[in-house]
Amino acid sequence: MLQQLFRRLKFAPDPLGTGYRHGNTHFIELRQVRKVYPSAAGDVVALNGIDLMIDRGEFIAVIGKSGSGKSTLINMITAVDRPTSGEILVGDTAVHRLSEERAAIWRGINIGIVYQSFQLMPSLTVIENVMLPMDFCDTYPSHEFHDRALHLLEQVDIAEHAYKLPSAMSGGQQQRVAIARALANDPPLILADEPTGNLDSQTAEAVFHLFETLVDRGKTILLVTHDSDLARRVQRTITIADGAIVADQAITIEDRQPDSDQAVILKGDVST
Amino acid sequence: MVIRPRWRKVLRDMWGNKTRTILVVLSIAIGVFAVGMIANARIILDRDLARSYAATNPASARLLVSYLMLGGGEGFDDDLVQVVQRMRNVAAAEGRRSLSVRLNVGPDEWRDLQIFAIPDYEHIRINRVWSESGAWPPPHREMLIERAALGLTNAQVGDTVLLKMPNGSRREVRIAGLVHDLSQLPSFLDGTIYAYVTFETLEWLGEPRDYNEMYIVVEGDKYDKEHVQAVTNEVRDKIEKSGRSVLMTIVLEPGKHPLSDAIQTIVLLLGVLGFFSLLLSGFLVINTISALLAQQVRQIGIMKAIGARSHQIMCLYLVTVLIFGLLSLLIAVPLGALGAQFFTRFMAGLFNFDLADFYVPRSVMILEVTVGLVVPLLAALYPIIAGTRVTVREAMSDYGLGVQRASHKTHPGGRMAALLGHLMALLGLSRPLLLSLRNTFRRKGRLVLTLTTLTLAGAIFIGVFSVRDSLLTTLDDLMDTWQYDVQVTLSRPHRIEQIEDVALSVPGVVKAKGAGFTLTRRVRADKTESDSMFLMAPPVDADLVRPVIVAGRWLEPDDENAIVVSTNFLSTEPDLSVGDSMVLKIDGRDTTWHIVGVSQFLAPISYVDYADYARAARNAGRASSVWVVTERSDLEFQSQVAQQLEQQFERASLRINSVAKIAEERAEAEATFEIIVILLLFMAVLLAFVGGLGLMGTMSMNVLERTREIGVMRAIGASNGSIQQIVLVEGVVIGCMSWLLGAVLAMPLSKLLSDAVGMAFWQSPLSYSFSVGGALIWLVTVVLLSAVASFLPAWNASRLTVRDVLAYE
Repeated sequence: MLQQLFRRLKFAPDPLGTGYRHGNTHFIELRQVRKVYPSAAGDVVALNGIDLMIDRGEFIAVIGKSGSGKSTLINMITAVDRPTSGEILVGDTAVHRLSEERAAIWRGINIGIVYQSFQLMPSLTVIENVMLPMDFCDTYPSHEFHDRALHLLEQVDIAEHAYKLPSAMSGGQQQRVAIARALANDPPLILADEPTGNLDSQTAEAVFHLFETLVDRGKTILLVTHDSDLARRVQRTITIADGAIVADQAITIEDRQPDSDQAVILKGDVST
Repeated sequence: MVIRPRWRKVLRDMWGNKTRTILVVLSIAIGVFAVGMIANARIILDRDLARSYAATNPASARLLVSYLMLGGGEGFDDDLVQVVQRMRNVAAAEGRRSLSVRLNVGPDEWRDLQIFAIPDYEHIRINRVWSESGAWPPPHREMLIERAALGLTNAQVGDTVLLKMPNGSRREVRIAGLVHDLSQLPSFLDGTIYAYVTFETLEWLGEPRDYNEMYIVVEGDKYDKEHVQAVTNEVRDKIEKSGRSVLMTIVLEPGKHPLSDAIQTIVLLLGVLGFFSLLLSGFLVINTISALLAQQVRQIGIMKAIGARSHQIMCLYLVTVLIFGLLSLLIAVPLGALGAQFFTRFMAGLFNFDLADFYVPRSVMILEVTVGLVVPLLAALYPIIAGTRVTVREAMSDYGLGVQRASHKTHPGGRMAALLGHLMALLGLSRPLLLSLRNTFRRKGRLVLTLTTLTLAGAIFIGVFSVRDSLLTTLDDLMDTWQYDVQVTLSRPHRIEQIEDVALSVPGVVKAKGAGFTLTRRVRADKTESDSMFLMAPPVDADLVRPVIVAGRWLEPDDENAIVVSTNFLSTEPDLSVGDSMVLKIDGRDTTWHIVGVSQFLAPISYVDYADYARAARNAGRASSVWVVTERSDLEFQSQVAQQLEQQFERASLRINSVAKIAEERAEAEATFEIIVILLLFMAVLLAFVGGLGLMGTMSMNVLERTREIGVMRAIGASNGSIQQIVLVEGVVIGCMSWLLGAVLAMPLSKLLSDAVGMAFWQSPLSYSFSVGGALIWLVTVVLLSAVASFLPAWNASRLTVRDVLAYE
């Protein structure tokens, strides 16, 4: 019964295609989202009236300088943080209204998060790390955990290390495990916060390729990155500065050429 | 069975930090062990003492009808026993004869031996004694010895020993075997040796073949003390109507071994200390779980980010604590059972009763499991709730729990550390030392709990030593009452000048005074009589007795029929107070006495002037005891003088009944006190151990949390020695702080503890004395304990390499 309840929390697009439960027609909709942090020196505005729409299957890069508000934006979408005002709708869920407890369940089922520093459980083996989200969310029967985790590890090409501890693996291998973990509950949305930041260029390329494969399989991916080359290879880039979206551009095939105008813009945006 | 990943995490985390797991498990185990052992021992001791005692069919009352030492009198025979037996409220009556003789235990060394003659050993109905080994019943001209007293005889079963009878004759008697007599106080308590003979042997020893003690068991509710007292009074009247005088009636708490309350009190005190050790292990659980949660705050954030709910994460940590508890039970339950077995055997040996089969009662198992699981869970609940409530954002950005770390500078502890730092800097102490001091105050919550653990352990440790000092001070006060060294009691009254001259002729005797001594009873206005009390009658001007007067005053030479009663006597006769008059029955005659003072004493002893006593007893100029002051008061000298007194009185054909040496009495009392102290100390050591584990846990956690910092210090050139010094000094600083706090807390705590011990054993607080020695011993102990507890973390810290630090999350 619990499993059914959790499954109900999963995004369920309107079968008639007219929109989601809260009237949003896009998979992710942020409406006038504002986030203010009080501090001793006065209020700090992290997000200042963000409006953003993202559709299913999009591969988006969020770029911006350090402190621009991109991490806060990701935190809003993943219900890790709440907006001071505004609405965040992801599928059928009004994320801004979720309690901490319901947010955890919702996040576990609907969002896969990949961190820059992998954040694997050091005391669990690779395969156990991948099984952990299934265990917490009860999305699959427990006897399926192992096979599914192994299958995911095969997809990220790391199955032969399934029974190793994370500490025995390289950064690139750990990031693959983190991606497999993000896919554990088969979430429609993957959020990756600087996933290649700690990797060498060859490994970063392989990891990025994995994301591309996932997008091809219908996943929506939001990638926070500083890497201009990677940002050029997504479908759309959202540039944030001082808590506001200053650019929201689709990337065309031409844009992906290193000497294109867009590429130059991107380079300029992220190089500082 | 497949273990879910989350539980594997729990198990691996425990396995991954084995030191932490071992510390917590050991700490909880000690608490559970202490509580379980004491609870188990309490039940077994209670059951077996009650069962063994009931099996003796204890006398409801013992009436001493003729007792040579107490002035003599006519004995009685089976006819009187039958008369009493036929009384309406008497279920059973038996007669025995007891007499005090002297047993030769070495060259010119004699001890008191109390002989009991029992008419029919095969059919003892009251206060049964059993054969332990050797012959049964005692063969003619041979005797059996109470098993607990054999050690005092300096002889073995089969040996022949020399007895000096009250009539002066000497007899060689073989020890034919051992008996167990639970009705007598264990020999270690009063130093008396008990022997058992037949009436034929008694006659051969030169004693009359009659009884001088009547044992009765009352009909009806034999557990109702009032009823027992009433029936005993009826029996006493019946005996006295037959023309004999009852010197003393002894009515014990019905159905209860005389030492039952003392044993239960010891066990209760130990139980309280056991509970403390459990409480302290709870502090270690709080510290450990808090540290674990602080260390894993990021992991908590990640788990929440991948879908774990707070209650699921709470469960992880609660299960961790539960496993700590279960592991501790694995150690504590069998050890508790072993400890209880050892402890019950020790107590049974000490108090001279047999244990039946040993078992761990279900209630004890339930108690152990409950405290082993519930106490750690309760201790961990708050840190777990607080730690797992952290939001993903807080956890991932090191907010929340990290806030405490970030803001320590603004806390009073930080200021205190800074102040201390400045002070130490002024004193010219090294940087590593300053760092140790600052480190000490960085985790205030943890420091408080660690300090609390060590402080309590220290306070109780010092408290136990203070109880010991208080017991000895009390003993000093009591012994101070008697300003003489040796008391010689003769078999009958003699002229005072004669016995004083004999005593004074012994080298080393500086003063000798004849004194009166008898048993008496108060005759109340309604003609009922009180319990018996001892009446001591030294000449007041001789200054041989100096009791602690709590009301009124001491006797003065000009007083007439003045009496100083003891607090113990007043507790049974509450209508009396200073200024009142009361009637005492002395040698069958009623005389009126005026209470001028009350002395603090734990037995019903009253004092009158010899002259008044001799007049009342119509025995002027004669006394049956002589109180002797010797040149030196040590036991060796007293024993030497006592031997010579015995020889001298024998040469003067004055028969001695007993010789009491004050130093020996003191040594016996001290031995009893030492047992109480040793048992309390055992629990205090357990507490100290828990405190040490707590400190070790704290230091391990501190080192673990400062891994990065230690790595940085190494990177900038800190040597192994410097790193170890920083950690060791921090541990020792905590130890010293706890000592200071413990010593302060020990003052009220030790007063409470010594009052409790005094009230429990003697219904009166002890003369309190704070043990400075105990405080110093604890200082040395706690410094050593701190150094040892910090050594492993210090060593671990010094092994960290810069590379390890970079790998540290």
